[in-house]
Amino acid sequence: MVPQLGYFSLVIAMVLATMLAIFPLWGAKRGNVQLMNSAPTLALGAFFFTLLSYLALTYSFVVNDFTVSYVASHSNSLLPIRYRVTGVWGGHEGSFLLWVFIYSIWMAAVALRSKAIPLLIRARVLGVMGLVSLGFYLFILLMSNPFESLLPYFPVDGRDLNPLLQDFAMIIHPPLLYMGYVGLSVSFAFAIAALLTGKLDSTWAKWSRPWAVAAWVFLTLGITVGSWWAYYELGWGGWWFWDPVENASLMPWLITTALIHSFAVTEKRGIFKSWTVLLAITGFSLSLLGTFLVRSGIVVSVHAFASDPERGLFILGFLAVVIGASLTLYAIKATHMKSYVKYTMFSREVFLWGNNIILTVATLVVLLGTFLPMVHKELGLGSISIGSPFFSEIFGYLLVPFVALLGVTPLMRWKQNKLATLKKPVLIALGISIVVGFLMLTLTRSEVENMALLGVILAIWIMISTIQSVLAKKEVQQKGVAALSNMTGSEWAMVLGHMGFAVSIIGMVLTSSYGVEKDVRMHTGDTVVLAGYEFEFVQIKDITAENYTGHAAVVDVRYENEKVAHMVAEKRFYTVQRSAMTEAAVDAGITRDLFVALGEQFKDGSWALRVYHKPFIRWVWFGGLIIALGGLFAMGDKRYRAKRQSLIGRKENEIEQSDLVPEVQS
Amino acid sequence: MNPRRKQRLYLTLLGVVGFSLIIGLILYSAGQNMDLFYTPSEIVNGKNETGIKPKVGERLRIGGLVVEGSVRRDEESLDVSFDLMDSGPIITVTYTGILPDLFREGQGIIAQGHLTSANEIKAFEVLAKHDEEYMSPEVAEAVKGIKHVKSDYSKTSDNTKG
Amino acid sequence: MSTEKSENIKKLMFFLVPLAIFIVLVGFLLKALFSDPRTRESAAVDRILPQFALYDLMDDKKQWTQDDLVGEPFLLNVWGTWCITCDQELPYLTELRKQGVKIVGLYYDQEIDPDFGDTFDMQQLRIDVKDKLSRLGNPYQFNIFDNTRETLLDLGVTGAPETFLVDEKGVIRIHHLGDINPRVWEGKFAAKYAELKSASKNSDGGKL
Repeated sequence: MVPQLGYFSLVIAMVLATMLAIFPLWGAKRGNVQLMNSAPTLALGAFFFTLLSYLALTYSFVVNDFTVSYVASHSNSLLPIRYRVTGVWGGHEGSFLLWVFIYSIWMAAVALRSKAIPLLIRARVLGVMGLVSLGFYLFILLMSNPFESLLPYFPVDGRDLNPLLQDFAMIIHPPLLYMGYVGLSVSFAFAIAALLTGKLDSTWAKWSRPWAVAAWVFLTLGITVGSWWAYYELGWGGWWFWDPVENASLMPWLITTALIHSFAVTEKRGIFKSWTVLLAITGFSLSLLGTFLVRSGIVVSVHAFASDPERGLFILGFLAVVIGASLTLYAIKATHMKSYVKYTMFSREVFLWGNNIILTVATLVVLLGTFLPMVHKELGLGSISIGSPFFSEIFGYLLVPFVALLGVTPLMRWKQNKLATLKKPVLIALGISIVVGFLMLTLTRSEVENMALLGVILAIWIMISTIQSVLAKKEVQQKGVAALSNMTGSEWAMVLGHMGFAVSIIGMVLTSSYGVEKDVRMHTGDTVVLAGYEFEFVQIKDITAENYTGHAAVVDVRYENEKVAHMVAEKRFYTVQRSAMTEAAVDAGITRDLFVALGEQFKDGSWALRVYHKPFIRWVWFGGLIIALGGLFAMGDKRYRAKRQSLIGRKENEIEQSDLVPEVQS
Repeated sequence: MNPRRKQRLYLTLLGVVGFSLIIGLILYSAGQNMDLFYTPSEIVNGKNETGIKPKVGERLRIGGLVVEGSVRRDEESLDVSFDLMDSGPIITVTYTGILPDLFREGQGIIAQGHLTSANEIKAFEVLAKHDEEYMSPEVAEAVKGIKHVKSDYSKTSDNTKG
Repeated sequence: MSTEKSENIKKLMFFLVPLAIFIVLVGFLLKALFSDPRTRESAAVDRILPQFALYDLMDDKKQWTQDDLVGEPFLLNVWGTWCITCDQELPYLTELRKQGVKIVGLYYDQEIDPDFGDTFDMQQLRIDVKDKLSRLGNPYQFNIFDNTRETLLDLGVTGAPETFLVDEKGVIRIHHLGDINPRVWEGKFAAKYAELKSASKNSDGGKL
């Protein structure tokens, strides 16, 4: 009964989404205020019924309702309850329901948070979101119904959840990432609404920017958590594999990073309008493309769902319509866009644009590396693979000019800047970073690797120039540190975002340059030394749990004869799913991680063990968290809060003013 | 108007030149880091599509079935070697390290490594397929229509693993 | 006026670049979507069935050889109770049987792996098979049990489910990877099957 209700509410949600796609846009065209006013209600209704549907599937999981095909193939009565709740997004159908549900959350959020925006724009934004959601609802109802019934014949027990997904990080990774992916639809809808209205000005940027930042924060967190998960769960100690599906999340992140910076320029200076719009469209397009990659089976990846060409065809068709139409609209409207603001080559806006270009190129690199194997094969040249060395190499090249610009830009003024005023701070920052970077490495490491040195210098360069940009503010120079409390959310966002990026760079280069790993064959009692750490293989234990059996290796680690870690690395065999899992043991630390993974047993009773010493690897994810925190500050900026205050303490006349239709096209 | 135009022209020119330079660099690097996928018989006879044979020393990916009884372990170290085949020719793969959890004889695997002689590969990565129902398209393609050598593999015979 | 127009067209061309890139990408994606490696020609096609002597899945005493199969066109369906996709196709295969298509099952069990605590129990297996076929439909005239998996390897089977269309002389005409559904049957099998059926001497035999 509950599954049927779940399906039925999804149908209702789609009906509401259809109305949302028609009425407000129609109203906007005809200047019908009543039709336009229906948008928020319809959006909230669609959200409510999608929520019901989502709860229905969760309920089916919790009560082990194996009459539902999806539950039968992704759960098991032995599965712990927390994984039954999260098992909802363990496979294609359920994860798509989560996707649709999250989309409806964003629609509801826009409906609630957009009261200060002119009705015409508001109706168009919500209408465009409804239009896009229509594709998602159709797809889930027609091609991947998670409520499909196995009645009258259903199994006594389910096939269990993929053990890779039975993990804490996996509980939060997909929702975070989907929040990011789907959230990009808001700035996309704003861009389309603006193109339709023909008004792309700084107020448009101001409305749209916090939504883009919000989606970007979720993307940042999602990618960070995903990287952390891959690190300890896939058992190979890497933090990024350039897997097609990982790339699918990186591309929208890179473009959205460019977008939020471009928004800053458009908001402050009213220029780069067509560029900003293009980025907003591209960001969401790439997130749709990512969906296609994951769900069509076109690429081979650990993350990919089972392939189904029909599903792929549907998504591709949807993709072609949505993106094709947007880009056509863009081409027509952008032709008539003009900027009247003057600026010179040597100005903040041009430098920001430069970094935008580098981010775009980086996106193209990922796009090319992800799709080149496919293109190569389709051209009849045979299957190929492009490995991580390609990406690492190009990203290495791009990082240097990127960081150089990133360091200088915050020190620059809008419009135009004199070379002379920059000379001094830049030289100071450069000097300090080279000296400090060099000292840091020579004092702490026996060898100085060039890549590590370059990376550390670049990171310190970012940090110093970020601090310089804060100190250079007039207020800070007059009032001292006390003025920091007066810094706006956007300013803090810049500081934290750039600092976080620097922290991540340090983590990345030090791990890549100084991380050591060793595969060893050991009997119990044997020891192996790695980077000064002595790993002793104490014993092997048999383990049994609810849904798996396996072995656990107990390893004690000593450093300079002092015990620093007691580690238990497991090898699990999930009996129902018939898959084996390497559950690595990680001893985390600020300056280093120790990592032990258990391999197989040999005839003579010895075991294969993999041990790692990974310096500063935590910094990679810590930096990601700081970046996301920066995004939160940007969202809380007073400029955007003003709108929210008017929300809470709305007065009658304010409503009239803000809901007034500024311009009605017929 | 004029200096503004000039400036725009410079910006555009700079953009175009920079962009093509970058694209060129990317494609060059992609070519350098590209690993062609071969099946054991393609390594011996040349690729189906193009007839190209890999050169000794080339980095490549190979996919095939692990020949029953061909897995040889070193007594002391983690060195291992095994034979791969698809439809006839056999390629020997050597590897040092931990094999994936689901590495089994008779299963399809993908290895990435360098060709050290006409029929030997030194692998630095070995990947196994996940389960029997799903096979990575690359492996599925590679082991298509295998004409296998008869073996006396049966369920009751002792497992040669380990 | 005209210069402004040509200027506008130039501008339009410039702003159409993203759309052009996107269209090219979609073209390749579309092509890739349909070049599923599994639809490629199988080496088993146009070859005669390999020789075998295997026992019936449900009966230790009954042995089947390739000669027992030939005589009329039939489907050889590779399956197992452990295979979820196979469950999906059983009802439709049963429907095909009702339409008079002869279907023979080639059963194979999942690999017995002590790491997963597997033990082999023929009795249990038969119970599972009976249970599954009674619930989802039984399309099979009989099932051959390939316990050594040799015949499977001879046929070039890479997983389950897979289906072979074999003509009355025992020559494999179609090798399909993945499940059989109405779309696959109509698109890939139906015409060929009808042709073989009419060519076959016992073409009017609706009875199996």
